[in-house]
Amino acid sequence: MTHNILVLCAAGMLVSAFLMVGQRALITTIRLYGAQSWALGVVAITMGLADGRPHLYITAALTIGLKGIFIPWFLVRVVDRVGIHREIEPFLNVPASLLTCLALTVVGYRVSAGFPVGTQLVAHHVIGVSLSMLLIGLFLMVTRKKAITQILALLTVENAIFLIALGITSGMPLVVELGFSFDIILAVLVLGIMVFRIVDRFESMDVSRLSKLKG
Amino acid sequence: MITDPVTATGFAVLQAAGLLAVAPLVRTSIAKMKARLQNRQGPPLLQGYRDLIKLLRKEVVRSETASWVYAAGPVVYFATAVTATTFVPVLVAAAPLEAAGGILVLVGTLALGRFALAAAALDTGSPFGGMGASREMTIAAIAEPALLLGLFAAALAAGSLNLGELVRTLLSRGQSYHPSELLSLAGLFIVLIAETGRIPVDNPATHLELTMIHEAMVLEYAGPDLALVEWASAVKELLFITLLIDLFVPIGIATVVTPGSIAVAAAAWMAKVFVVSVAVTLTESTNAKLRLFRVPELLAISLGLGFLALTFRFL
Amino acid sequence: MLLSAALIAHVVAIVIAVALVRRPAACRIATFGGAAFASALIIASAVQALASGGVDHRVLATHAATGFGLSLTIDGLAAWFLLIQGAVALPVAIYSIPYMRHAVPPARTPVVGIAFNVLLASVTLVLVSGEVVGFVFAWEVMSLATTALVASEHEHPANRRAAYLYLAMSHVGTGCVIAAFLTLASGAGSLAFSDMLTGHVVTGSTRTAVFVLFAVGFGVKAGLLPVHVWLPEAHPAAPSSISAFMSGVLVKTGIYGIVRFGVVGLGVPDPSWGLAFLLLGSLTAILGVLYALAQQDLKRLLAYSTIENAGIIVIGLGAAMMASSAGRPDLAAFGLTASLLHALNHAVFKGLLFLSAGSVVMATGSRDIESFGGLLRRMPWTGACFLVGALAISGIPPLNGFTSEWLTFQSLLLNFSSVPGLVRLNFPVGAALLALTSALAAACYVKAFGATFLAQPRSTAATQAHDAPWCMVMPQAALALACVGLGLFPGPALGALHRVVGALPGVAGASPVGAGAFTMTAGSPAIDVVRPLIVGLALLGALAVARALTWRGRSPVRRTATWGCGGALSAEAEYTGTAFSKPLIMIFGAVYRPTREVAALAHGSPYFPHAVRYRARIEPTFERFLYAPLTRTVLWLAERMKVLQAGSLHAYLAYILALGVGLLIWLGGTR
Repeated sequence: MTHNILVLCAAGMLVSAFLMVGQRALITTIRLYGAQSWALGVVAITMGLADGRPHLYITAALTIGLKGIFIPWFLVRVVDRVGIHREIEPFLNVPASLLTCLALTVVGYRVSAGFPVGTQLVAHHVIGVSLSMLLIGLFLMVTRKKAITQILALLTVENAIFLIALGITSGMPLVVELGFSFDIILAVLVLGIMVFRIVDRFESMDVSRLSKLKG
Repeated sequence: MITDPVTATGFAVLQAAGLLAVAPLVRTSIAKMKARLQNRQGPPLLQGYRDLIKLLRKEVVRSETASWVYAAGPVVYFATAVTATTFVPVLVAAAPLEAAGGILVLVGTLALGRFALAAAALDTGSPFGGMGASREMTIAAIAEPALLLGLFAAALAAGSLNLGELVRTLLSRGQSYHPSELLSLAGLFIVLIAETGRIPVDNPATHLELTMIHEAMVLEYAGPDLALVEWASAVKELLFITLLIDLFVPIGIATVVTPGSIAVAAAAWMAKVFVVSVAVTLTESTNAKLRLFRVPELLAISLGLGFLALTFRFL
Repeated sequence: MLLSAALIAHVVAIVIAVALVRRPAACRIATFGGAAFASALIIASAVQALASGGVDHRVLATHAATGFGLSLTIDGLAAWFLLIQGAVALPVAIYSIPYMRHAVPPARTPVVGIAFNVLLASVTLVLVSGEVVGFVFAWEVMSLATTALVASEHEHPANRRAAYLYLAMSHVGTGCVIAAFLTLASGAGSLAFSDMLTGHVVTGSTRTAVFVLFAVGFGVKAGLLPVHVWLPEAHPAAPSSISAFMSGVLVKTGIYGIVRFGVVGLGVPDPSWGLAFLLLGSLTAILGVLYALAQQDLKRLLAYSTIENAGIIVIGLGAAMMASSAGRPDLAAFGLTASLLHALNHAVFKGLLFLSAGSVVMATGSRDIESFGGLLRRMPWTGACFLVGALAISGIPPLNGFTSEWLTFQSLLLNFSSVPGLVRLNFPVGAALLALTSALAAACYVKAFGATFLAQPRSTAATQAHDAPWCMVMPQAALALACVGLGLFPGPALGALHRVVGALPGVAGASPVGAGAFTMTAGSPAIDVVRPLIVGLALLGALAVARALTWRGRSPVRRTATWGCGGALSAEAEYTGTAFSKPLIMIFGAVYRPTREVAALAHGSPYFPHAVRYRARIEPTFERFLYAPLTRTVLWLAERMKVLQAGSLHAYLAYILALGVGLLIWLGGTR
């Protein structure tokens, strides 16, 4: 039972990552990220129930509260304030991006087969999904120009690492988790402010314009 | 090796005085032989002494723009020439101050004299002095490796760089001629010509700007200063001749200090000096003076001969 | 302990300098006075270490987990180089007190003082470090402090360029040294020198590679060909007292590194190493003196002369290494003694020459010897000291240059008699080249001394020059006395070296040198023996005789004008430095490749020129044929690689992604 929920949530997270790649609208991307974080929260609760570790409930609460609710709300507010709602002209068009993400998923699953613990089916899926999400997150950062998308990609990578930690090692010590969470909050807040500044200065969220600063 | 300081000092003084006394005679005899070859009478044999006495009795005249270096030049040159004579065995198979140094000290002492004279020549402020100093230091720089290589060939064969020890070893071994000795003799003879400033390297009797080397350095000197310089040059000449004799034909040198052996040694020495003087005269009279920038080629030949001598002996 | 006291004195001097930033004069006296005091303590500690002959090892700090410790070791070799450092630093510091007032602007004096103290302290630490980390740290601090001092007059672009060149080359050298250290450390499993330098740590081609790295790395600092190009730029750019320290001591730290790590630290050397050093040393010496002859800048001339003497030291090391590889550790001791003694002698007379040059430069405001002349009458003490230094460096008996050159000659010739085979012909050839070098050096210093101090002044500045204050003359006089003393009495120095060299690994205890306070022998008196004191006394006696012959009692000497071919002789008719070395430049034209331009300038008709312009140049061979192509290649590569740094954030992220995927596939696909 637990295993099924785990695999289901992991699959859900991977699907949300794919959908993020195929999305143009920023609000939808943020909502997808929110859904991803909710799935992660569910994974935490399941692990807590299955292994009988109470502190995982706190982890779940933190995940859902911060990453599932607060961050998406904050980012939607930023996008509304800035007024830029769409991602225009990524470096790679959508079909090609999706194909690349498929290839990265294959790599992720291939690597997970190489881990000794990967022989168990659940672990195989969990590691595979995490690695794939990590690579897809990085890929997103490489091919998208808008700063909001970059933030979301970073958060996706963080989710992937969280998933591995939860799924394989049944969570990290609470102190570490608190630290991570606060790090993420701070990073997002700072990045959000930076987005305002970038738009204020350059009247665009296009990160590739940074290359104009080159000497 | 003479270790007693009193004997060594006395011997040194005697040897230096003796060489000082004989040097002008050797120089004048070379001049006379050269003159005879040119169908001239030439100077009388004692003219060298007369010239020295004349110069020594003159007033001391010095340049008004020069400093103490100018006055010190001839004095140091003379002192180094005289000191150098004490490192070379002449009549006896030991040098008076051989406990103080050998070949390297000899060459170094002569270098001190040359340094002093060249600096003094620059001090006059005249272009002749500068020119002479520049040319003299150039030729000396190129002659020194040739000189040392030739000396090393002989020294390494005898196993010592100390001249007294070298002569003793050669005497005890007896005279057996190795072809390498002929090569190093030729090389060292060329160096002798260069160091004493004779044709084909330099003309000791000229005062033409184009052709002077040593004479240009000492052009400004007069009276006692000039006497010192001339005398020291003559002593240096005799020193180099004696060095050549010691390295290649040491027979006749006294191994024990008895009046008979000393007399024999003196006679042998004078005869050998005469032979070498004849060789020098013939070289001077049958060659034309080389252009300044051809002299390095001649000295390179000397260097090559020295190197060949080493290779032949030790391979 | 005296060494710690010296380091504390440096720190105190730095603190006082910071406190006295607003008062340049007091700051100057405090910092350089403190440096002088510390140098005196260094000399004392070195003498104490040399006299006691033991090895002082102390551990400063240890890291328990890795077993790594910072330690200091003062053995004979370190003590000898500490002595060299102190012997030069003390006069330099005293000289700097009045000199820095003229050499650097008041606002910059505290920085120069602090940098000088840092430099002295770091040199001390380099010499006594017992393990890699401390050594490299002190080495780097030394380079940085030197750069700061070289750039102290950074208004001139030439000085900035010199400092930059020095820094760049110094780091190349340090890189090689670190690479060699790490190779040895990985072989020995420890970073302490006592473990790394046992001689069995690496073998075969690795050992040769480590040796080459040490030779190149420390050779940069020592000024060996072909990595010497920074020396003729940096030494003239620094203030003269600092140049004296750089030539005297910093070059010797390079020699220290070569000796400790290259020559005796890797076990019995290969014969090819000794031969390579012999060739390298000879080439360095000859080219150094040839380039010195062509210089008109007094300090550049002295800098090239330093390169020449570094070559002579390396010749001695080469002879020692060949003897060692031929199984004759006693002859190896001889060669090492010759090199180390020349290191001390060179430090003393080169320090003296630079200090005198500094006085001249300060008095006339120029470094060009063509504008000097006649300074001996206006600066008699400086001139006399320079003369002593010039005689010493030309290897003229009975001064100290002759002593160490004699030892080097002897080591070459003794090797000839004992090393078998065809290779031994290298030794007499090497000796001949050494003789050539020495004679050319004499010519060079006749030129330097003559053009600077003799004849008539060639510029108004030279006419108005006056001698330096006594505080600047005293250090020069002290160094000149040291030259004479070391020359006449080589015994004490040789006795100390006997113990120093005997304690080195791979070298036998009995060094056949020095049989008393006044004597040097080469094995046995039958081979050769020198008693410089007797030579000196004989010279004095002969000088007295000569003086007596020209003595005229009370009647004055008649002074008259120098013969000027019938006209008045002016200063323009004098032989200049360029003219003096012209014959040698023409003879060695293959090395110099001189070019000249002569242009006659005329207003109207070309038959009536009003001026003739003459310009002579020699080819900067190493800069043109080695460094320029190298620099061009590096810049070309950098241009090609600039494409990678496009300034685009996405490109950098793409690199990370590619690297991540690549690593995962490579590492993750295997079990």
